[in-house]
Formats: sequence, C-alpha cells, structure tokens
Amino acid sequence: MMTLKIALRNIFRHKARSVITLSTIVFGCVALIFIGGYFQDIFWKMREGFIESLSGHIQIYRRGFNEHGRIEAYRYLIDNYQEIKELVSDFPEVEYVSARLQFQGLMSTGSNTISFIGQGIEPQNERQATIEETQDLRQFMKSKNLGLPVTVFGTSLVGDDDYQVVLGRGLAETMRAQVDHRVTLLTSTVHGATNALDLNVKGAFRTTQKDFDDISLRLPLQTAQSLLDTQAVQVLVVKLHQTEDTDKVFKSLQVIIRDKKLNLELRRWEDMADFYNKTAELFNMFYLVMRIVIGIVVVLGIFNTMNMSVMERISEIGTIMALGIRRRGVMKLFLFEGLLLGCIGGAIGVLMGIIIVSLVAAIGIVMPPPPGTTFSWLSTPVIVPSIVISTFFLSVFVGGVSALVPAYKASRLEITEALRYR
Amino acid sequence: MSLIQISNVSRTYQLNSISVEALKNVNLTVAAGEFLALAGPSGSGKTTLLNIMGCIDKPTTGEVLFDNIPTASLSNDQLSDLRAEKISFVFQNFNLFPVLTAVENVEYALFLKKMTAAQRRKEAEAALDMMGLLHLAKHKPLEMSGGQQQRVAIARAIVREPLLILADEPTANLDHKTGEEIVDLMREINRQKKTTFIFSTHDQKVIDRADRVVRIWDGEIVSA
Repeated sequence: MMTLKIALRNIFRHKARSVITLSTIVFGCVALIFIGGYFQDIFWKMREGFIESLSGHIQIYRRGFNEHGRIEAYRYLIDNYQEIKELVSDFPEVEYVSARLQFQGLMSTGSNTISFIGQGIEPQNERQATIEETQDLRQFMKSKNLGLPVTVFGTSLVGDDDYQVVLGRGLAETMRAQVDHRVTLLTSTVHGATNALDLNVKGAFRTTQKDFDDISLRLPLQTAQSLLDTQAVQVLVVKLHQTEDTDKVFKSLQVIIRDKKLNLELRRWEDMADFYNKTAELFNMFYLVMRIVIGIVVVLGIFNTMNMSVMERISEIGTIMALGIRRRGVMKLFLFEGLLLGCIGGAIGVLMGIIIVSLVAAIGIVMPPPPGTTFSWLSTPVIVPSIVISTFFLSVFVGGVSALVPAYKASRLEITEALRYR
Repeated sequence: MSLIQISNVSRTYQLNSISVEALKNVNLTVAAGEFLALAGPSGSGKTTLLNIMGCIDKPTTGEVLFDNIPTASLSNDQLSDLRAEKISFVFQNFNLFPVLTAVENVEYALFLKKMTAAQRRKEAEAALDMMGLLHLAKHKPLEMSGGQQQRVAIARAIVREPLLILADEPTANLDHKTGEEIVDLMREINRQKKTTFIFSTHDQKVIDRADRVVRIWDGEIVSA
C-alpha cells in the first residue's frame, strides 16, 4: 500500500510532465485499438462480401472437379443435385443451397460479338440489390446486403421467364446493351455440339470485382442447362446463417459424404478466398509493425520521464537507502512507478479507444473503392475485445520495460554520493 | 559498553586520478547512550566518519565494530538490514519526502517493520506528538518551516527506536534559536530513551551542549 501510495504521488508530482507521458500512452492505445478495429472491420466486410457475392460458405463439387475441372469442366458435373440440395438444406445452420452452372461462349448483338463467362443461377437464391438500396451505405453494409451484386439499370432476373439475361456492367457498356435488347449466346453443349439461344436483356449489375463485371453475365439455371443440353450443375453453393459455423457444417458434410459414399468434394470459403487471406496476412503484419513502432515511442516517452524522475530524486534515493531499504527495494519502487504509469495510461487509453471507436462507428467513414473494385464503402471500426485486452497489457508491459533501466540506475547509486547530491 | 569501535580506519576517495585521504588512521570508541559532537571545519572528514559509523560507507582500511558486529565484512543487503534495525539519520537538509505528509514521512521509517498500517500510524503519530507536531501531521514538508521539518525528520529517526541516531550538521540550515531547540530536543530524547546521538557541527553553541566532543582536523582526530 505504501509503495503504491508513494508511486502514485510521485507520478503526479510533476503534473504537466505526467500528463504528457500519459498522453503518449493514451494516444498509442487509442491508435492501436482504432486501427485494430478498423482492420477488423475491413476483414469482416471483405470476408462477408466475398462469401455473399461469390463463394458462399461451402461449395460442393463432384469429386475431382478441383483437380481436373479447369480442363474438362463438363466431365465433373453433379447430376443428382436436387437430392444433395435437400440433404444439405436440412442443416439448421444452412440458410440456402444454390446451384450454379458456369460456361463460356460468345455473345452477339448482331453487329458486335464478344466472349463471355456465363453463370446459370437460381435467381430466388441469388439476390441482387437495387441501386436505391445502396444509397444508404450504412444499411447496405449490413452483412445480408454486403457484397450483393447491385442492379445498375433495368432489373435483376425475375419470375419464371426462361429467356432473360443480366449483364455485368462492363460487358453491358461494351455491347451498348439496353433493357429489352435481344442478345444471342453461342456456346458448345456438354456433348460438344454448338448451340445458340436468343435472350432478352433485363438489366446490368455490378459486383465488387470490376474484372468479373467486364466479362460476366447471369441467366436462369434451367436456361443455362438447356443451352448446354444437360440436367446437371457444376457447383452447389451453401450459404450459412453465420460464418462462424463454417467448420462445423464442413465437418458434418464430410462425414455424410464418407458415410453415404457420395462422389463429392467440398471447399470452404477460406480455401477460395486467396485475396482475403493475403490481405489479412498483410494487414496483420502492418498491425504488428505498428504495435512495435508505437511500443517503442511509448517506451522512449516513459523512459525519459522515469530517467528525469531518478535524476531529480537522487538525494531521496540516498535517504531511502540510508533508512535501510535494500537496492532491490529501490529498484522495485521505480519499476512500480513505470508499471503504474503503464496501467493508468493503458486504462485511460483503452477507455478513450472504446469511446472513439464507438463514435466513429456510429458516424462511419466513407472510403473510396479499394483497388480492383467498383464502389465506395462505409468503414465502421469495431471494438475487438482481444485487441482491447492485449493493448492494455502491452501498455503495462511497456511501462515496466521503460522503467527497467532508470530503476536499475537508481538502485546502483552509492548512498553517500546520493545523499551529497543537490 | 561500547556501541561503536573504530580501529585504524582510513578512507581514501579516488577523484579522477587523484587520491584524497578523507580519514587517516582513525581510532574511536563510542559508548552506548553517549551524546557526542563531532567538531571540525568543512572538509575535515566529519561526514565521512559519520557515514562509516552509520554503515552507509565502508573504510578503505581498518575495522569497524557496530554493536559488536564487524561491519566491513557485511554485504550491502546485510548493511541495509542492520541500518533498518539499529541506525537512524537526521540530515542537514531534512531529506523528507516531499510527496508524503508529515505523518507518512514518519511512517516510512517503519516501512520495513512487520506491523499493521494502523499500528504504524499510531506509532508515527506518537513520535510526532513527542515533537509537538501532531497538529501538522497532514501537512506536507513544503508547508512547514525548517525547524518543523527537522522535527519531523527527528520523529522519523526516533520512531524506529534505534540504538544510534546520526545527525550530519542538523542545525546548519536553521536559525540559531531553532538550532538550539533542535539540539535540546535531541538531548531530551537521549536522556529519556538512552539513544546514542552522534552529530557533526561547527557551531560552538551546539558543541557546548554535547557530553563529549571529538575534534577532527584534516582527516585525523585531534582530541577525543
């Protein structure tokens, strides 16, 4: 108690100096909590956007597709997909299962012809957002909308009309396509024959990926199936209610596939999200470097304060030792002061960090489109408990480390010289 | 019974490449309960001799027996423990902790004793009361006069009930009247508690109050 009292009073002996030192610690903590929360928000949005727009949480293929499917895509189709869909849909964690059939071909408007990548989809599962829905960025950023393809003109695929198509924005612009224009899709069937189909353009969409929008179009699954002359699909996209359930469902599906001897294979979203994984790795590295840099700045700040404190209190240190406090006791006293500085600074910093992150999250920062993507997004940093806790302990640790050298110096003073010092 | 026995003690300081001999072959015995003044001009070696007797400095050569313990062979920690138990100091500049109140400054001397906070407070208040300063218990040193600060320092010295109190020029920073009061106070404690007092001074009126005067000149004892 006595040590705590003395340390506390010594810290506030020079109020201005302590306020500056504490400000350094607080600033460091706020920066770490804010940037950690900002990165975490980016990760979360990238992840959910990727899952919602492209991958779903788990994809089911015919066994061998991932190894050989690139060359012989149509040899690895799933025939009994309705059966599997029903099986998977029974999981309470599953929101929906959507079948897709992807193919390539040529699209012609009569005067122009261009190659495309087509996706046969089940429109009732693969929702598109309207342009109006994107006006309120905050609403749009909620996970169910995040990453949804957005209709830029016309509508999304609707009703039971089989002869409709929506184009990626880049593709629509290149072909100068308008609503109700007729386009002809030319491709080869799964058996190798050439087939063509006339479809009505319903509208255009954009996803987060500009490259994808420049070459892609989407049409109803059954239309794609009749164009390719097949009843099968390439992939079943499993969307869960919560991303956190991915591993659990993945493992259960693996067991079912093994037990029922189904000729299928699975991939999780993270196995496909190469860009996400690399970005997360890079940002985590940035964050580590920032922690080290901020840590060093704070160490220097506290070191300076503690060093000045030792210099000013040399004769006091002499008195303490004359009273019979051992050298180790003197060292403890100064170490305690450093730890206490870290503790107070950390506590205020963590509190301020939480307040600032909450405020910024409530307002949101509109960010420009990231490289290779198409639209602005709203950053709403999150409070990450693990970051908050680790930041506090980092601050205490840094406080102790910075006081180490001054404390050692204090404990090594010669009593007679210290007492003589003025 | 002797409390301190100093035999053939020399103390040499190394200042850059020059050796300065602060004490030269000093022999001195101090009996328990003495009220002893170390007199001599500045730089004569009074403080060095006090430091050695107070176990905060070691002689370069010679032997010191404190309470029959040869201190030369003790480690720093052992010397710390010895001081904590048996020796107190009063300094010229009072050396109180500015961040602590009067009563907390006195309590600090009991820091190493195994006792409850309430006990510590009670004893510190009793010591302050003895100095007639209980009413200033909650004041910080800078809110007190020099005489009051020195009384707090004496309270801090006596609260541990040491065998020896060493006072290095305890009156040098006080006016004459206050200085005399402080010495009278020390004298009173010496009589009541039989605590040995050794103080350095070059103030003749203070010297006159001592039982015994040891005169030191240029590192040597000229009269004991």
